[in-house]
Amino acid sequence: MAARAEVERYRPDWREGRVMSWITTTDHKRIGILYICTSLVFFAAGGILALLMRAQLAQANEHFITKQSYNELFTIHGTTMIFLVVVPIFAGFANFLVPLMIGARDVAFPRLNALSYWLFLFGGIVLYLSFFAKYGASRSGWYAYPPLSANMFSLGHGQDLWILSLHLLSLGSLIGAINFLATIHNMRAPGMSWMRIPLFVWSIEIYSALLVLVLPVLSVGLTLLLLDRQAGTHFFEPQGGGNAILYQHFFWFFGHPEVYVMILPAMGIISEVIPVFSRKPIFGYKAIAFSTVAIGFYSMLVWAHHMFSVGLPNFLNVFFMLSSMVIAVPTGVKIFNWLATTWRGNLIFDTAMLWALGFIAVFTIGGLSGIFLAAFPVDWQVTDTYYVVAHMHYVLFGGSVFGIFAGLYYWWPKIFGRMLDERLGKAHFWLVFLGFNLTFFPQHLLGLLGMPRRVYTYSEHGLWQTYNLISSIGSGVMAIALLVFVVNVVQTSRKGPRAVNDPWLADTLEWYTTSPPPPHNFDHLPYITSARPLRDLRRRLAETRG
Amino acid sequence: MSAHAEAHHGPPIANHSSRVNASILGMLLFIASEIMLFGAFFTAYFFVRVVNGIPWPQPPFELPVFVAGVNTAILVTSSFTMHWALQSIKRGNRAGLQAGLLLTFLMGLVFLLTQAREYSRVGFAPHDGAFGTIFYCLTGLHGAHVFIGLSILLFMTIRAFRGHFSPEQHHGVEIGGIYWHFVDVMWIVVYSTVYLL
Repeated sequence: MAARAEVERYRPDWREGRVMSWITTTDHKRIGILYICTSLVFFAAGGILALLMRAQLAQANEHFITKQSYNELFTIHGTTMIFLVVVPIFAGFANFLVPLMIGARDVAFPRLNALSYWLFLFGGIVLYLSFFAKYGASRSGWYAYPPLSANMFSLGHGQDLWILSLHLLSLGSLIGAINFLATIHNMRAPGMSWMRIPLFVWSIEIYSALLVLVLPVLSVGLTLLLLDRQAGTHFFEPQGGGNAILYQHFFWFFGHPEVYVMILPAMGIISEVIPVFSRKPIFGYKAIAFSTVAIGFYSMLVWAHHMFSVGLPNFLNVFFMLSSMVIAVPTGVKIFNWLATTWRGNLIFDTAMLWALGFIAVFTIGGLSGIFLAAFPVDWQVTDTYYVVAHMHYVLFGGSVFGIFAGLYYWWPKIFGRMLDERLGKAHFWLVFLGFNLTFFPQHLLGLLGMPRRVYTYSEHGLWQTYNLISSIGSGVMAIALLVFVVNVVQTSRKGPRAVNDPWLADTLEWYTTSPPPPHNFDHLPYITSARPLRDLRRRLAETRG
Repeated sequence: MSAHAEAHHGPPIANHSSRVNASILGMLLFIASEIMLFGAFFTAYFFVRVVNGIPWPQPPFELPVFVAGVNTAILVTSSFTMHWALQSIKRGNRAGLQAGLLLTFLMGLVFLLTQAREYSRVGFAPHDGAFGTIFYCLTGLHGAHVFIGLSILLFMTIRAFRGHFSPEQHHGVEIGGIYWHFVDVMWIVVYSTVYLL
């Protein structure tokens, strides 16, 4: 009787429900999944904004959307892709993978970790709700220079909501970054010295360090902008004794390291994928690790190459030109090390490897156009043209997003326990590769022909219409490609083959546990004796078997 | 019953790969980002003062250098009482911990109230040009940090009187103390640049 009463009285805790368990979770793997899924939703939203822009630009003199809406579209598209897609999806990868890769039970501060995710989600929601503000969302571009973003030219609260959203996102990122740093420093498994952590963990170390150092500067710039708008201060108003260029310094002191925040983790992913699918150890582990540190260091000394056209003293222009070009050296070190890893390897062209190789090809083009842009006489010619748009999409889409998809295809079995379909995956890759180059390659030529960025329409003018049409068709191809990815995910989510612990025969610790891992990650850990603990285990096993 | 006797059942014991405790490391990293935050505000200050060439302080206004100097002395002293509180609990001296934290809290409060009084008498407002803007932003940013520090101190003091902390477990005092020292050191920088320089 008593036992039966006990059973009837049992109610599952309110935190154990199917939805509530995700809302109240502090498990790094679940928070990682939340981050990745939310970022992918925002990726779709930002992609739709881009498709609307390409539809408007497909023909000369089109009136598909108004110029005000067009300005909102490019502002929110840029802000979305940077703050709501690339940065948080890497936080998602880092959340899921870093504790597994270093053999930890969780991150250092699990509850702060949850806070960081929810700040990100609400920051994103605030950004998208700003479309409903009076006079619409922010229209001053993703870097929001005053006076364009000041009260006089940005009416309504769209700009203020944009600032609020970025404050929430920065705070979330800052908390996440501190968390990753404390985790990597403090929770590595026995034997895992700094030269034995996976290269992805190295990239997250520098990603986090950069965020800790530069996000506060963005926050100050935005706070002062908000004060100028709402409290009548004069930081950026020359009439009141302020200086509009100061905002640009604040923004780009954050903005350029942010570029490396968005590319270093992609490079980290590539450094994990390429050796596994080349069946060789990574070539130059230390060189790649130290070049990551070097890129992080130099990235803080180059910000004014975004400001060559404001008329800084020439010695500053020369300094920032040279420091920007110096970054090509550690970047080149990485690219040659990846190529050397594939050299005489036993290459396996699975989807993850295709994305990684695609990354090297496309990112290198973007890197090279970046060196041209770093030369300030060239920059004076092409600044604010489509050449810049092409360059940054080659590094941010061709670099970061290709890296993200390489990581998704590579770690999907570990995260969700199901294998993705290789045939659909390859179709996805080749369609994106084709669509990407169709979209963005002609934009180099448009820029050299003098088409300015951020114009909502143009008149028939030589080849402008042809190149714009090709670019718009390419964006449609990419949209179809992303649908292929969605089909792949939906189809395999229930019927896909179950993943074994280590489907790719990889070397890093996350493949030691089950797919998906249990809440406590590991039942036991091997003592780490190299950067490739699973290969060591396999060798030891082979020896004991004779 | 025998299941309980089995040696170490469950996930591996957490490993500490750094000598620095994770929470202390987290606080130090947070302070690194705070230094960048103040650094950005100081950049604004130097931009206005050096690049734009605005006289400092802008006549006819004057800054109360002496009162702020006394205030500085109070805040610096509170860092020593904070240190005393931490050393006391490390040696198991609870009375020293309680007295130290209480004194630190009171001195921080006096600092903040003096600052508020200074605002009401200084004679210019944030919207009176770039000089006023920068003055209120730098001192106000610091004041906000003192306020956060006081909130942390309040909780530490309450916990000290409730019997928390021991010679073995005093991270709660140590971490809040690091933040308080940071607030003090930052005030010395703010005072030197805004009032003295």
